[in-house]
Amino acid sequence: MKTHYSRSLIALSTTALALPGISQGDAPPLDSTFSYKFSNYKEDDLSRTEAPFGELERYDIDVHQFQLITPWGRNMALQVDGNYESLSGASPWFTSTGLDGEPVVNLSGASGIRDRRSELAIGARYYLENGSIGGNIGYSEEDDYRARYIGLSGERHFNNDLTTIGLGFSHSADDIFPTDASLFNRVASESKQSTSLVLSVSQIINQTTTVQTALSITEQSGYLSDPYKLFDVRPDDKTQFAWSNSFRHFFVEAEAAAHVNYRLYHDDFGVSSHTLDFAWHQNLPDDWRIIPNIRYYTQSAAKFFTNIDNPFTSSDQYQSSDYRLAAFGAISGGFSVVKNWGVWTGTLTAERYVAKEKYSGYTVALPSTALVSYTRLSVGFDYTF
Amino acid sequence: MKQLPRVLALFLAFAMISGCVEVRPWERGYLARDEMAWDSDPLESALNDHIFFSKEASSGGSSAAGGGCGCN
Amino acid sequence: MKIKNTTLMTLTLALGLAGSVYAAEEGDIAPDFTLPSIHAEAADITLSDLRGKVVYLDFWASWCAPCLKSLPLYNDMYHRYKDQGLEVVAVNVDNPIEDGTEWLIDTPLDFLIPADPDGVVPELYEVFGMPTSYLIDTDGTVKLVHMGFRDGDMEVIEAEVQELLAAQ
Repeated sequence: MKTHYSRSLIALSTTALALPGISQGDAPPLDSTFSYKFSNYKEDDLSRTEAPFGELERYDIDVHQFQLITPWGRNMALQVDGNYESLSGASPWFTSTGLDGEPVVNLSGASGIRDRRSELAIGARYYLENGSIGGNIGYSEEDDYRARYIGLSGERHFNNDLTTIGLGFSHSADDIFPTDASLFNRVASESKQSTSLVLSVSQIINQTTTVQTALSITEQSGYLSDPYKLFDVRPDDKTQFAWSNSFRHFFVEAEAAAHVNYRLYHDDFGVSSHTLDFAWHQNLPDDWRIIPNIRYYTQSAAKFFTNIDNPFTSSDQYQSSDYRLAAFGAISGGFSVVKNWGVWTGTLTAERYVAKEKYSGYTVALPSTALVSYTRLSVGFDYTF
Repeated sequence: MKQLPRVLALFLAFAMISGCVEVRPWERGYLARDEMAWDSDPLESALNDHIFFSKEASSGGSSAAGGGCGCN
Repeated sequence: MKIKNTTLMTLTLALGLAGSVYAAEEGDIAPDFTLPSIHAEAADITLSDLRGKVVYLDFWASWCAPCLKSLPLYNDMYHRYKDQGLEVVAVNVDNPIEDGTEWLIDTPLDFLIPADPDGVVPELYEVFGMPTSYLIDTDGTVKLVHMGFRDGDMEVIEAEVQELLAAQ
């Protein structure tokens, strides 16, 4: 049988907020910059204990990112972003009990199947005396998914430019048309909408320190289940809140900057999470920079998460064994190496991510057997002209 | 959600910090450095948001504005 | 509540100050100053010594991208009009000074470059943003205050300079 995997949740991330916005500095750029990054990340195989039957290999994904930012006239900047992703591998199809009654996961079919996703977005930003406004529109497409989105944002400086208040809005309309729908009794064609609002306040504390706080609210409605998972039924609306805080400090003696970010999240599926990440940007002689970083993440389970699918739940009872809705913790870390040669900048990044039940800060009532670990490598460059 | 009033209060308290030290426009050299930007590698941040979103249940973050060199 | 009152006070102060943004507005006499040159071997620079010339006074730093774009263009302008009585004074506010001198190694400039790492003169002029430049006539009066440097600004600045030089 043909294998397909769920891209619907990955595609959900293509809201305007996920794409890099034009740097909201105080003035339009005077030069153009072209950036490219290639990344590969590979999820670890499952073990036989976790998946006694069938496929063990998970996702292997290549990502190409392109960006061009260019000044336009006296007060504006234009931006074009493109992504191209190709994916092969398998993903959890359903969970069941193994020979000894423990929960096990079953991956969808044979490997060697690829999906490709393309995305394009265009944006513009207009710079005024004390702030700027901008917007972008985008489109992404793959075999079974299509998304269109729009974003608008504005920011204003106050208090001698020491305080900045920003407001952002984005809306996305997505269509999903699962492959082999009739063959596997999947929904044939569904849609969902997502709307977000973000309010942020940034403050310069002193010559070497800045802080930022931001509150976002997102409302999703429509088909929110995963059509590729056999027994997945989720509510048809979801409200999400995220509160993010960032801190930046420059250590003059060390010639290094510390970045600390913390995000608190909650949604009405019952998932709450904490994210804490730390990065150290160390400058070295001859325009080299090394950036080690570490991240800790923990989430609680969705109200309707189960680690053993019940094939006989009625359609009005919510259920999902998607590991993304389980309680778990994840630790990730890595480093980047950056080198600048005049108008060229090169970056190399390596990262390792491990999710485990035992890392969770929340109580894990139902551990998922499909938690993921992966390794990522990226290489990129910027060219200013 | 129950914690919302508390979260909002904390958020507003943060927002009301009206500047601990007056930093003049010509004193913003350190803040102008690209390693002091909210987002010093936009493609990396977008990629991470995208990957973490596909592996975790959380989404949403901040918009990046303010700080920097203050140049016009 | 304490936090609220501090915010209100600061807002009122900020709004009040907004009315008197520049200590050197168009029509004012440009405040005088003496600063050492960024070049160790050159003489100190005093603004009032340049009375009788048209002076283009600019404030810049190596970390300010629009500043760096403008300086070579100011150098061209200086060469075009120095025989007609134009003087360009570009005050560098880098701290440490070495950041400024390092950048100048690759971009030699032929006009006067005072060094002011403590920011005494921009404070005197109440500079509101980087870069800011002041076009001063032969009597020492500020004729034009220009904030920022964007595409198309050079034409505007040069036209004003030509006008002042012709009026001498």
